[in-house]
Amino acid sequence: MDTVQHPSATWEAVSNGIVFYRRQQLYTLPGKLPNIADYLIAGCKNGGPIGMCPIQLSRICRMRGALALMRDTSKLVALGRGGPTFTKSQIQVYSPAGEGLLLFSWDQGRIVRFGWTFDERLVVLNEEGVYRLYDLQGDYQQFSLGNEAAELGIIDARIHENGLVALTGSLTLLEVKDWEGGRPLALANPGISEPPHSWAVIPPDQSISRHVEVLLSVDATILAVDNLESADQRVARGPFLHVSPSPNGKFLALLTFSGLLWVVSSDFQRELVVLDTATVGAEGPVNQVEWCGNDAVLVTWNDLASLILPSRDNLAGETLRYLYFGATFVVTEADGARVIGQDVCDFIQKVPGKFALWYFSQVNFDMLRTVSSVSIFHPGSTSSSAILFAAWESFIQRSPKADENIRSIRSDLAAAVNECIDAAGHEWDPHWQRKLLSAAKFGWGFLDLYNPTDFIAMGQALKVLNAVRFYEIGIPLTYSEYQYVSPAHLINRLTSRNLHLLAIRVSSFLSLKPDVVLKHWASVKIARSKSSAVDGEDDEVCRLIVDKFEQLGGGEVSYADISRRAWEVGRTGLATKLLDHETRASDQVPLLLTMKEDKLALVKAVDSGDTDLVYHVLLHLHKRLPLGSFFKLIEDGGDQLAPASKLLQVYAREQNREMLRDFYYSDDRRVESATLALDEAAQMTDPHAVMTAVNAAEKFFSEDKDRPFEAKMMNESVRLLALQQQYEKDSDGKVKFFGQSVSETIRTCISNSMSKKADRVKSEFKVPDKRFWYLKLHALTAMRDFDALDAFARSRRSPIGYEAFVRHLVEAGHLKQAASYVMRCDGPKRVGLYVLCEDWRSAGRECKERGDKKGME
Amino acid sequence: MAAAFASTSDAQTSSGTERDNEPRLDVELLKDTARKALIDTLNAVNGAKTLVLDPTLAGPLGLVTEVALLKHHGVDKMFWLEPGPLTSTTTNVVYLCRPLIKYVKIIADQVKAHIRESQKHRYTLFLVPRISTLVSRILEEEGILGDITISSYNLQFIPIADDVISLENDNAFKELWVDGDETVIYNSALALNSLQKVYGRFPRILGKGDYASRLATLLTKSLPEQPSPLSDPSIPSALFDSLIIIDRTIDMITPLLTQLTYEGLIDEFIGLKNSHVELPVSLLAPPAAPNPSNPNATPSGSASVTPLINEKTKMHHLSTATDPLLVELRDLNFSSVGKRLSRVAHRLDEDYKARLQAKTALRLHTGLSEMLSSKTRTELFNKSLEVQQNLLASAIEDMIAHGASMQTIVRLLCLASITSGGIKAKSLDSVKRELLQAYGYNYLPLLLSLAAPLLAILLPNPLPISAAPAVAGNKYPFTTLRKSLRLLIDDNPEALEEVENDISYTYSGYAPISIRLVQCVAQKSGVISNPAEKSKADDGDGKGKGSSTRKLHAHPIVGWKGFEDVLGTIPGKTFDIVQKVPASTDSTASSVASLMRPHEQTTTTAVFFLGGCTYTEIAALRWVSRQNKGRKFLVVTTGIVSGNSLIDSIASTGKNLSVNKDMNT
Repeated sequence: MDTVQHPSATWEAVSNGIVFYRRQQLYTLPGKLPNIADYLIAGCKNGGPIGMCPIQLSRICRMRGALALMRDTSKLVALGRGGPTFTKSQIQVYSPAGEGLLLFSWDQGRIVRFGWTFDERLVVLNEEGVYRLYDLQGDYQQFSLGNEAAELGIIDARIHENGLVALTGSLTLLEVKDWEGGRPLALANPGISEPPHSWAVIPPDQSISRHVEVLLSVDATILAVDNLESADQRVARGPFLHVSPSPNGKFLALLTFSGLLWVVSSDFQRELVVLDTATVGAEGPVNQVEWCGNDAVLVTWNDLASLILPSRDNLAGETLRYLYFGATFVVTEADGARVIGQDVCDFIQKVPGKFALWYFSQVNFDMLRTVSSVSIFHPGSTSSSAILFAAWESFIQRSPKADENIRSIRSDLAAAVNECIDAAGHEWDPHWQRKLLSAAKFGWGFLDLYNPTDFIAMGQALKVLNAVRFYEIGIPLTYSEYQYVSPAHLINRLTSRNLHLLAIRVSSFLSLKPDVVLKHWASVKIARSKSSAVDGEDDEVCRLIVDKFEQLGGGEVSYADISRRAWEVGRTGLATKLLDHETRASDQVPLLLTMKEDKLALVKAVDSGDTDLVYHVLLHLHKRLPLGSFFKLIEDGGDQLAPASKLLQVYAREQNREMLRDFYYSDDRRVESATLALDEAAQMTDPHAVMTAVNAAEKFFSEDKDRPFEAKMMNESVRLLALQQQYEKDSDGKVKFFGQSVSETIRTCISNSMSKKADRVKSEFKVPDKRFWYLKLHALTAMRDFDALDAFARSRRSPIGYEAFVRHLVEAGHLKQAASYVMRCDGPKRVGLYVLCEDWRSAGRECKERGDKKGME
Repeated sequence: MAAAFASTSDAQTSSGTERDNEPRLDVELLKDTARKALIDTLNAVNGAKTLVLDPTLAGPLGLVTEVALLKHHGVDKMFWLEPGPLTSTTTNVVYLCRPLIKYVKIIADQVKAHIRESQKHRYTLFLVPRISTLVSRILEEEGILGDITISSYNLQFIPIADDVISLENDNAFKELWVDGDETVIYNSALALNSLQKVYGRFPRILGKGDYASRLATLLTKSLPEQPSPLSDPSIPSALFDSLIIIDRTIDMITPLLTQLTYEGLIDEFIGLKNSHVELPVSLLAPPAAPNPSNPNATPSGSASVTPLINEKTKMHHLSTATDPLLVELRDLNFSSVGKRLSRVAHRLDEDYKARLQAKTALRLHTGLSEMLSSKTRTELFNKSLEVQQNLLASAIEDMIAHGASMQTIVRLLCLASITSGGIKAKSLDSVKRELLQAYGYNYLPLLLSLAAPLLAILLPNPLPISAAPAVAGNKYPFTTLRKSLRLLIDDNPEALEEVENDISYTYSGYAPISIRLVQCVAQKSGVISNPAEKSKADDGDGKGKGSSTRKLHAHPIVGWKGFEDVLGTIPGKTFDIVQKVPASTDSTASSVASLMRPHEQTTTTAVFFLGGCTYTEIAALRWVSRQNKGRKFLVVTTGIVSGNSLIDSIASTGKNLSVNKDMNT
């Protein structure tokens, strides 16, 4: 006999035994919580489960002017008693198991509302429209609803997982989307003159329009307000004390002042329940009207929680009663509701199972086990999974019935195996989880082919779930919720509780990347370590973090994020040390810039070899620093920063010459200054400007004692330019000289029959005879002025010899003229030269004269 | 001599056929990738678009795609990215350019003009190869950042031959060694990394030179967003045996010398840009008879590089895919080209099949080689070759007087300075003065750049006391290298055939240092002695056996072993990095592979020229490759350079701008 309580022991049947509800005790919390009745509470829910839209979860109830807040699967927050004007109050956060998670005091004015975000941050909004997002470590971000909201004052708000809606003093509505501190948007003006009796918000995810929808109870009716319009729903049953939308947004539970509970579809077209709550038999006012999943409504009084669910036969619905001592707080979950009492935390839930239609066929407690939970444990179930379970139990007891049972479900065996696995997921007790999985395993032994992926995944999931459900952790996540929110989200929740060891184990168990956990761990480590008063402290922390990252992260964790974190908390030294371990310069450098580690940023950028990154830093610094310190930074860098300096010059030469001039000047780079001036001269067209630029270059060169040659050349250059200007003027601008080289100038002179001028250039610039003669030879040949050439050749003995004449004329195709110069060449060469001129006769004659018989041939 | 010629040519033919049997990397893959990326880029902008193209990208893109493809993907009209207004009939305007400031300013002007005229366009700017902060910043300063969508087109290596891939960045050398802008290194690292992703990791990275070492560091350090190439099991890992990075400045001599191989000479004299050469139409038009008229009939002035003729010209794509003769000719010393051509002509007479296709090619190359030989016959050319061998400052001065081109003079000057450890200060000043007088004082910045510490290839001897210590300590040890690397081999017509197998053949007696260094890693015996000598000895008894049987198998890569001392004398860092192969089974697999490699596999050695390489260097590497089996070379470069293109790029600071300006005004 099992000593463990059978799962179905807490089941209660409704709808003629088709549907079961169960109350699962999650934790006992004797004396752990302050008196619930004295607090305003907000509970945080987790993802809406099974295939429906996610659900708005955070709820607050007001009780006797006190405020307490609690979070569903994870914690309760309680605000100390202090009346409506607690300018100074404490907010406490408890896990569902009653463990205190956080305690902080609030001194930011009167709190209007608080609630939870999807990622478990506590939102606290005050009457001035300022709201803070606290994580579980008490760190917060602060945002505001804007000046206008501050002036009007905020009188109430509704907070859902991904945003909030605030009601201003002038009875208008402001919506905040996401938690990034974005600007609040005004919703349509409901046009009411006094605050609504009660109100609620259907979050964007659950509304039909995909925009947030606000329901206001005004007079007897309900106003539905969104960002476009305010629509009267023409309801006459009001005014309402409670308005509560279901987790999937499809239904509303409304409670009138007279105690009438009215459950309708959210378009008010379909009534599900109309029930006078007085008939339930409770005393005192209703505390909460909350949903239990999407199927039932939980109405709570002191000492009593009543589950009301629609019935096909009776508009008053069916009622299940759960007794509690004193006040309770209910948090709606997507697949149930958590009830937190003074000394117990329960989960009330419809027993999950798609095969809820199995009947009691016989009251046989050996056969008592039947679909996902329902079909297996459903009293007297004969579903195939129930039979499989029974077969397995028989097998354990060495009973021959096992074989018989298996045979009877042969055709459904695969389905039965899957049902057993599924049922294990919905079972809270590890004892029964194990049994169900064993039964599944037993069953698949009889199958030819079975893919065990689901089985393994379920085993892993349950291991994780059991671990986090443990009271010290206190995250009573259901399997459906776990699947909805994803393992990564669960790991985030663990890390935000500083449960890094568990988080890293879970993540490695599920083969997830450890980055998130490691990063969070490091941030906390940094935040907790003492600031760098002690010298070795930074090194120590850095070493710890690096060791851990290398060991667990496989070297793939980014240090840049951690370093940014260290910098944000003022640990610059540590941040720098950490950043040193970052291998990706593209991550490292921008952070260094934010940290104003200018030089280091530049060095790292240069080291990375990525010139674009260097430009990024240079341009950034150029913008931020005064020019002088910018230059100094680069100049002081020496060889290490030389590439950056070069890049700056490349950039400035194209885009910012002024800056480049300053740069060269400030660094006494005369040669570069001169080159820059010449570069500019090359781009100018105005002769005067060109000369000024060349003059400037000359001046720069002359200031550098190692550059006398260059200075002299620039001096010549200016003189040449002046001479050319003069010549152009002399020729009335008909001949262009400006900008030509010395040789070209001479050539131009000769080509234009200005041989005097050519001579002047020659003497002024000390052009060697040889070059001059070649120039003149080439120029005159090009002009075909052979007379002048002849005169020139005779003017004196040629310094280049006459062979050059012959060869050049031949190359230019003037054979006849060429031949006339052969006589003046060296004797032995003449034959060859005549041949070149194709003057065969002379060649022959020459041969004869020289007695060269060989040549004759 | 005829016999000798026949035997060597036989050897070549057989090696040529064998080459096809040995597997080599399929570089066409890169082309396909680049083309696909371009299509994706264009398709990212919906609808008809006007494409405004960076002129320097046109050449590289032309190797990857054709205009029809662009039209097919919605390009309505194409314009050059040039100053001046842009008229676009389509809503979409797509700019495609490298992230240079001058381009961004042009774009800004055009966009602002449109805004003033209240024309409505959607602008997209694709930057090659990646997005740049600088560009966004300038657009921001110009106030139009919000009007332009910025994205990138990651154009990396482009195959320009089946064993050569290039970034086709013409300015790489100047950016690195004049401006000190290291962007090229980073982009090269990214591109090499992509290469590793496609073809597998380089097990070993060796190299020489400071910037080369920087590149190797970047490559081995993890680059951002580059998952380890080995994480993908589909990548074959044994294709590369190593990557050798040669920094252009460790051998400035080779590019400054006149290239003497066929393809090299075409580049020197006619100019090969993105594998395209500008040729007279008569050479290209198929129906016309071979044009025997000497294209040099018209006087071409004094400069040796000015376009030859006034005849109409057309861009011709020199590619082995369409030109069967090019494979045979491109790596030959020009002195052998004529003989080879006539032999081919004979062969064609016999072989009718190949005739039609090859005929046009034959005519083309005959014409081309005539154009070249007319150049090589000029006095100046021969004089410059002569000067290259003597390198006396006074001779260079004579050449200035004679009217040689500025580029020739600067090349000679730098050669003189490098090989003799500087030029006597007095004669240097005098040559420099001559140079400035002859070609213009505006070349002073060029001279300064050549003497600046980054480059330091034109220096006085002795150095002034004020010289940067880095320069003083980095004298190029040409005289020692000459012996230790066997750089100069006696050059006379008889010897030419003999050395045909040594890489010095490519320069008629000078072995390019860069390739000798590659040999230090990949063919150590080739540095020490001439492989031709051995084969000649064999020839004595076993003539006609076919050289393939004699060919040695390439030795495995063992680093610089044996040449550490030589490398130590050359300025710049020497490195040899064995890349980590991730644990697991790979280590055993690779060790097995390395054991098997010498017998089973042909591996590829990638040789990366940071700063560009010449056609002749490629030719020399091909010679090395032919001498052994089991190792192929993949030439990887930032671009193809020649002495003139290097000098021009250094001199261009500010010059281009002024030219543009002049044209506008």
